[in-house]
Formats: sequence, C-alpha cells, structure tokens
Amino acid sequence: MKKKLTGLLRIAVAGVLTFGMLTGCGSDTGTTTSDEGTKTEAAADAGAETEDTAEAGKTVKIGVLVADVSGEEALGFRSYYENYIAENYNVEFAYTDALASAEDEKAAIEKFAAQGYEAIISLSSADRAMQIETCEALGVYYAIASGVLDESQYETYKGYEYFVGQVGPSNQTEFEAGQEMGAYFKEQGIKKVALYGAFIPNPMHVYRTAGVIAGLGDTYGGASDMDAIAGQIFGDQGVDLAKVAGDVEIAAYLQGYGDTTTDELNAAIQKAPEAFLSVGMATTFFAQSLNEAGIAFSDIDSFTEMNGAAIKEGKLTYLAGKYSSSIGPVFALVMNAVNGNVIRDAEGNAVSFSQGYLVATDGETFDQYYVSDNGDSPIYNKATLDGMIGDDITYDFVKSLIESE
Amino acid sequence: MSTSKRIVGTLAIPVIASIILEALCLSHGQNIITNAKSFDNFVVYAAIVMITTIALSINLNSGRFDFSLGSMAALSAVIGAKVSYAILGGGAGSAALMLVLTIVAGAILGLLSGSLYVLLRIPPIITSLGVTLIYEGILYTLTSGKYLMTEVQNASMSGFVGTSVYAFLIILAVLAFSILLFDHTKFGFDYNALKNGQKVAVNTGIKEVGNAVICYMICGGLMGIVGFLNAARNTNINGGQLNFGSIAIMFTAFLPMFIGSYIGRFSNEKLGFLLAAVVMSLLNSTFAVFSNEVTASMQSIINAVLLVVFLIYLNNENLLVRILSPRKK
Repeated sequence: MKKKLTGLLRIAVAGVLTFGMLTGCGSDTGTTTSDEGTKTEAAADAGAETEDTAEAGKTVKIGVLVADVSGEEALGFRSYYENYIAENYNVEFAYTDALASAEDEKAAIEKFAAQGYEAIISLSSADRAMQIETCEALGVYYAIASGVLDESQYETYKGYEYFVGQVGPSNQTEFEAGQEMGAYFKEQGIKKVALYGAFIPNPMHVYRTAGVIAGLGDTYGGASDMDAIAGQIFGDQGVDLAKVAGDVEIAAYLQGYGDTTTDELNAAIQKAPEAFLSVGMATTFFAQSLNEAGIAFSDIDSFTEMNGAAIKEGKLTYLAGKYSSSIGPVFALVMNAVNGNVIRDAEGNAVSFSQGYLVATDGETFDQYYVSDNGDSPIYNKATLDGMIGDDITYDFVKSLIESE
Repeated sequence: MSTSKRIVGTLAIPVIASIILEALCLSHGQNIITNAKSFDNFVVYAAIVMITTIALSINLNSGRFDFSLGSMAALSAVIGAKVSYAILGGGAGSAALMLVLTIVAGAILGLLSGSLYVLLRIPPIITSLGVTLIYEGILYTLTSGKYLMTEVQNASMSGFVGTSVYAFLIILAVLAFSILLFDHTKFGFDYNALKNGQKVAVNTGIKEVGNAVICYMICGGLMGIVGFLNAARNTNINGGQLNFGSIAIMFTAFLPMFIGSYIGRFSNEKLGFLLAAVVMSLLNSTFAVFSNEVTASMQSIINAVLLVVFLIYLNNENLLVRILSPRKK
C-alpha cells in the first residue's frame, strides 16, 4: 500500500515537474490571448464615454512591438497607451515581451495577425525592414513610433500599402540631441568623461553616440561629421576608444546591459570621469551607482518620475527627453488607417514626421515638461487626438498639429 | 605533510597570481586596487564568488550536478525584495530584512529542489534542469519579465555595498558556518562519508536521503545570499531570465572550485574556496584596469582559457612531477 502510494506520488510530482517545465519556458500569459509572447494588457469599455464613430463600433486591436520592457521611457509610453488611450478610445493594446531579435519580431507579428490584430505599432528596431515586409504580406497596418527608418529604407518602403508611416526623432535629430549634450558638458569645462552607448547598433543610439563625440569636439577615426562617425560606429558595433581624439578624453566606454555590466560600470567609475554621458537608460540602470559615486550624469530618455527624482535629488544634470504622450500621433494615424482613411503625404507615400527633444538641466525645467504631460492630462490628450482622427483628416492637417506641439 | 609545505601549498596560487596581476597593472601605470571604492567592489565580488563556489561544490562533490543555483539566487532575491519592500517600503533596515528573507526563501527553494530529486529518483542533472525552468518561470511571472528596481534601489541597499565591511562579515560567517557544519558535525561526517563511498556509507546506516535534502537546502540558503549581494551590487534583479538564462552564474564558480579544491589539499577546502575567490576577484579588478583594452567577451574567453589550462594541469600533474623531478639512478 505504502509502496503504491509512493509510486503514485512520484508520478504526480513528475507530472507537475513536466507541466512546470512546459509552462516555465513560456512567457507570462497574463490576462490574455492564448499565445505565448503576447499579452493583452488593457481593453477599454466599449465606447460608452465616446462619441466617435470608430469608438462606438468594434474594438480596434493594436499589437505593440517592444524590445525594452523596463526602461523609464518604455514604461512611460506603455502607461500612456494602457492608462490613457485605452481608457478614452475603444481600443485594445497587446504588448509583446522584450523582443531580442528579428526572428522574435517576425514571430510576434505573425501571432498578432493570427489573432486578428488590425495594426502593429513598433517600438522595436532589430529589423524594421523585415517588420514592414511581414506586415505587408499579412495585410496588417504598420507604423513606427518614437523612431524612423534610415533614409534609404524609407525610400524603399514608403510606397507599401500597409505601411502607415513613422513618427519620431529623425536620425539627424538623434545626432543633434547627442551633439547638444556633448557640447553642454564641454562648455562646463569637463575634460574627462565616461560614455554609455546603450544598445548599439540600434540606429538611434548610434546617431546619439556619434553626436556626443562630435559635441565634445572630438573626432572618431579622424571624422567629425555625422555620417562618417555613425558609419564607423555601425562598422565597429560600438565605440573603439583608440579611434577617439580630441581635447575631451573619453576614459571609459560601455554598452548594452548584461552579466558583466556592473563590472564595466565599476571599471568606468574607477577611472574617475568628471561626467558619465549616456545616450539612453542611464537613470534606469545606473542612477544609484552614479549618485553614490558622486558622478554627474546625463541621459536621453523621457520625462518620467524616476528621471525627476534623479535630476532633483541625484546627480542627473542633463536630460534630453521625449514626453510620454509623444506616441499619440502615431496612434491617431493607425486609427485612421484601420477606419479606412490611410493618410498619405503629397506624393502619396507613407507619412514621416520628425519629433524633437526637450532639454532639462534642473528640476524646475524638468517640472515644466513633466507636469504638462502627466497622468490624466497628457500633451496629446483626447481633445487633440480627436482632431487627428476622422474620415476627412488630411496629411497637411496632421502635419500642422504635430509641428505645433 | 609538513606545516611549511602546507603553508606554501595554500598560499602559492594567491601569491603568484597577485604578483603577476599587480605587475600587469603596474605596466599600465595603475594598481589592482586603485581606491576605496575598488576595494569595496573587490570584497563584494569575492564574497559572491566564494559563496557560489561553496554552494556549487556541496552537491557537485557528491555527484549531483545542480543547474538551478542561478534561478534560486534570482528567485529568492525577488521574493526577499518584494516582501521587504512591502514591509518597510525601502526604508531603514530594508537591506538587513531582505537578506534574512532571501536566505529563508533560498533555503525553501533548495528544500523543494532537493525533495523533488529524492522523490523522483531520476538523475539530479535532469531534475535540476526542470527545477531551473520552473523557478525561472515563477521569476518571470512575479516580475512580468522586467528588471526589478524600485524594491532594491534605496539608501539601505546602497549602504550595504557602499562599504566592504558587510560583505567581509558575510564571508566570515559563511566560512565559519561551512567549516563548522561540514567538518565538525555528524551531518558533515555523514556527508563526507557519502561523498567518498556512497554504498559503504549507506550500509553503515547513514541516511542518504535526509543528507541530500539538507545539502540542497543549504545550497539554496547560500544562493539566497548570492542573490541578495547581486541585487545590491547591480541595483536591480533581472526578471526576464527564461530558458536557462540563469545558469551562467554557476559557470563563474567552476574555475574557483577547481582552484579551491587544489588549495584544499594543503589546508581546508572551504578556505581554499575563499582564496580562489580572492584570486578571481583580483582577476576581475585587473580586468577593470584594462577595461578599455579587454572587452567583456574577451574576459569571458580569458576565464575559459584559464579554466582549461588549470584542468590540463590537474590532469597531468603527476606527469609534470615526474618530468621535473631529478631522475633516481
């Protein structure tokens, strides 16, 4: 009897273990759709509080591709869609888990399409060309938020039927954001810095890093212009300090985030830089260590609570930021497309709008931007977005609205 | 073995390594330890390596390969961080409370892992693979795959790694506990008997199952400490370690385990692990000096090469002794 019971117990435990192995290697399914890897986070009430034609009808399902699930900027964007847009429009957002590769992006798009999602908004940039091709093949509308394709890619894909467009800082804008940051520290008389390249070869981080080097007045491989520096960084897949020359010394360089990052950060701090210049996510990952070490740092990120604390109570001294609702216009473009009004530019191509950065170097300036884009009253609020969504909305009208913000 | 030979055998590797690494750093115009901060980093890293090595060796020495060490460290740290944050909100005493909770959580996770092994009676390597995936899955569910930051970013935690004192005390406590438990108690005698001859030991009446479960529990508790130290040092915990993403931590302990076991021939094995951890931390500090020249991937390659070279030495030690000894006529 006892033997039998033990045997049964073993089988039961083995079953639990097997089940655990099967479920353990998948993703969080949350409230969701049955598939791995995607998670439906929020569904709004069915148009009770809205008057729009689109809102009164069926729920629009939009899939969001994300590579970063922890960063301040990413969390701010997500909160805006899930807590503001989903509350005010008849829309359902489904977020991917952290996408690590082009294969992951493709699989996520295919899953969204299989689940009947009508549009994809991409905040992930492992292979945007492949993302567009996949959406085109599947007949799913596609838009890029908070970033843009490089020029040649845009030329290739701007005529695609399901490519709605792109709204975000252009590569030139990214370069200038880095350049202004580098120049700011050079003007402060800083002679020795550490540099964090975030997730190079992500294009936005490459251009920002190229900008920082130029802004510091340094050259990279003898070059000082945007394309030449960025091209070399793409080629090197990072910054080779042996190629940096100029008055301001870059004493340490690190990029990415993984098992060895803490060691690399400690090594950078050991080299006693006067400032730590980051082109993204410094507050997320390094604020506590840099505050503790007493090293002033900068970041290109978003106007979020954590960055506010870092600039007021910590050592964050320069923040070039987007506001969290800056991804509002891309949502409006996607809603129009799903409702049958695919907005095109004057030449009949997918739209491309560039957005800039706001800079805060103290708590007061930070608050000006943060307070005006927070919680229930974002800059791109319902009233503004309603003006962008409709059957007779035109390219020129959307352009004028985005440029006026 | 004579006392002088014991002392020389114990200190040879750490001293030689220190001299070589310091010489390398001096050639670069620096020292291995450049300032107080780098010394703090050195001690904290040595603590992490030593404790991981001890945890790995406890089961591995008994033929139980445990892949789940990293997942136990991460999961117990997340549990400790969430509970301590819920109680103290990141205020004073958060670090101490999290340390205690993390050790308890780690011990429970170890106990579950060990219980599964003895219950299923399938090879421990298979069980540990399953347990790793389960713990990683729970970790992912608790954190939604995000980095856990708010719960571990506070003055109490930064104060803990802002000085070498606490890490030093942890090293002493773990070392004393390990030596006492494994060398001076009945449990330790049984463990060593099972390690050296399982069948004979079992035939003499030693309870193998209970001993194995306790070993897993101790490993879990130790990995809880490692999880806590990693959380304090990294200022976050990676919640997205799916599909064996957590096992890398185990491999960092292989080289110090072999070095420590070698040193243990001349003294106590646990002391050997400490000295091996010191060597690894010296190497890590040297990498920091050369961080602009030696990239993270190159460091991994250097560590792997050192492991292979040391294993080659261990396997051919007798041959080397024969070659280097004067021939008897």
